[in-house]
Order: sequence, then C-alpha cells, then structure tokens
Amino acid sequence: MTDAALLLARIAGGDRNALQALYQAQSVRLFGVAMAILRDREAASDALHDGFVNIARRAGMFDPALGRAEAWLATVIRYAALDIARRRGREIPTDDATLGETPADATQLDTLAADEDGARLRACLEGLPEKNRQGILLAFVNGLSHPQIAARLELPIGTVKSWIRRGLLSLRECLT
Amino acid sequence: MTPEERDALAAEYVLGTLEAREAEALRDAMATDAALAEAVSAWERRLAPLSALAQPEAPPPGLWARIEQSLNPAPMRRQWRFPWPVLGLGASAVAAGLAAFIVLRAPPPPAMMTVLLTSREQPAWLVEARGDTIHLAALNRQQVEPGRVAQLWALPQGATAPTSLGLVPEGGRFSVTPASIRPSPGMLIEITLEPPGGSPTGRPTGPILFIGRLSPASGT
Repeated sequence: MTDAALLLARIAGGDRNALQALYQAQSVRLFGVAMAILRDREAASDALHDGFVNIARRAGMFDPALGRAEAWLATVIRYAALDIARRRGREIPTDDATLGETPADATQLDTLAADEDGARLRACLEGLPEKNRQGILLAFVNGLSHPQIAARLELPIGTVKSWIRRGLLSLRECLT
Repeated sequence: MTPEERDALAAEYVLGTLEAREAEALRDAMATDAALAEAVSAWERRLAPLSALAQPEAPPPGLWARIEQSLNPAPMRRQWRFPWPVLGLGASAVAAGLAAFIVLRAPPPPAMMTVLLTSREQPAWLVEARGDTIHLAALNRQQVEPGRVAQLWALPQGATAPTSLGLVPEGGRFSVTPASIRPSPGMLIEITLEPPGGSPTGRPTGPILFIGRLSPASGT
C-alpha cells in the first residue's frame, strides 16, 4: 500500500493527525486539480475544503483493491470542484488562451504518469483524432461543459457531443 | 437502459459533462443500480491518470485551519450542554438545588455520547451508549425524502468499513444493541440516505445525513 492508502486507513479509524499528514502531502497536487477546473483560487479552496471534509468522513469507503489512493483522492476533489462549477452555472472564465493548448496538446501528455496505467492511457489518447482527444481533456481536466468545448473548438454542440462519445468508446476498447 | 447506454452515461458522468440535474439523478440511480455504480467505478479507474495533467499549485495558507474547523465545529463541552435539559441528565451546575434533584432522578450516566451533526454542522441527534446499547433521540423534526430511508451505521476506530445498525425508525427516539460490535470511544456513528429496505451493498451508498463520534462521558 502507498503512504496515502495507509493514511486513509488511519483516517477511517478517526486519526485526525493522519488527515493533516495527508493534507500536507497531497494538497498542492489536489489544489492544482481543483484550480484546473475552477480557475479561481477562492472557488478551488472551497472545492478542496469540501473534498477534504468528505475524505475525513468517507475514508473508510476507500478500497485499496479497486485502485490507488492518490487516484481516489483526485476523484473526490474533482467531483467537489465539478459540483461547484455546476452550481455557478459553469460561469467560469474560459478565455484563457493557454487553456486549450495546455492539456490538449499531445506533447503535454508527457506529464502523464510513466506507470503502466498512465502509459496505456497515453498511448490510447494519442491514437484518437485530435479534436476527440481535446474534447475529452478539456472536459476531464478543465471541467468544461459541452457548450464551452463547442465554443473553444469552434464546432457545433451536437458534433462535440458525438465526438466525445465516440472518443470515449474508442478509449474503452483500446484500454480493454 | 441498455448496457451501452448505461456505460455511455457513466463515462459522461466521470468526464464531468453531465449537467447538474443529470449528475444528481445518476448519483441517485447508482444507489439502486449496482451495474451503473460498477460502470462509474470502471470509468474512474480508466481516466484517473489524467488528473496528473493539472498543474500543481499551493493552496492558500489558511485552508487547513478552515477544514479542521469544519470537522470540529465546537468544543465538546458546548455540545454537551445543549441537550441536557431535554433528557434530564443534569447540565453543569446551573443551580445546586436543581442539580441535586436531577442526580437523584437521573439514570446512570451514559458511558459515551455524541451529537450527530448535519453537513451544515447543525445538531440533529443525541447519541448515548450505555453498556452494549446505543440510544438515539432526535433533537428536531427529521424528514427523509419520500421513497428513501435513513440507515444507521457505526465505524469502530481502526475498522475499515462501517457496520449497519439497521434502519432509523420514524419517531424521535430508539435504541439498538448491535450484535457484532460494542460501542467504543472514537466510534463514528452516522446516518445515511439509502434506497427502500436499506443499502443493497452492506455499505453506505447514499449521502451522509448526520455524523458524530462517540466520546467518553466522564466528567459530567
């Protein structure tokens, strides 16, 4: 088990020091996950707050047999950030010129973990048509809605929806 | 729903492109649809490595303190005082005469207790554990949304999964004597929202409605 998994087990047992240790070890990475979606430090702080309160209460639900603790933590924070984005009607600045390129540029996939899962996902993403891949990354990493992705890629919403859906289908097949 | 539709919906939920109402409906559906929950979990695992594409950034310095405050809303002493008169257990020495009266009349002091709080940190249930039995008393009117039930859980310190203590009956007070675990200090007590008949998986599947941690009641 990783350190984070051990800390989660201690948190499930009510160890508040373990929660603080987890925060110290993971908050920079997880705040980055929330910032990528919300692009506003105050909103991202709310997401990290809600996420860590959830982690404290739900640590017992983490099952190390089903995946890595770091991934579970990022999932909790992402959902907290997406909930905030939805509550705000996703009125989030998307005119950041670097936004599209940063995560969607294939070379940026270099930051994907070099472990087996990261490498396989990267290979599968690189096999997708450019706009399918961009749509998936803008949604997952930056929390953009279908209309926001459509505006950014200058495509009709219906096209974006079906490209993303097709991209996900290919990913699933590729990862099988 | 065909398996393909289910999987496509699960994928869009994990991707984050469902709108608020759709995402909420899917979370509700996961509580009763194990195949859907399984599909969501599989997509979470597939896409998890993408979180590494976000640029790490340090959170503001005061954030940990704020999280800690949300988890410990008030000093224990203040929580204790709140429900005492309701239950006739004697507050701190408010008036000597009254205190004496209560000591004579009161049942043996509880070995452990807590107050279950809502997600907004509002007190909702008083919990006392005496011996093997856990007593609960509602501190205000509780309403469960139609078509759902409230289920009580206990998570002993060090345990990895909570144990169901059964469904919460309607009405303000009830007691349970768990068969497999004993009330112990530090034990988490929580009530979650579940589908009719209770969680189908044996673990909480719905949101936590109320939560608190048992503490020794010494010093009262």
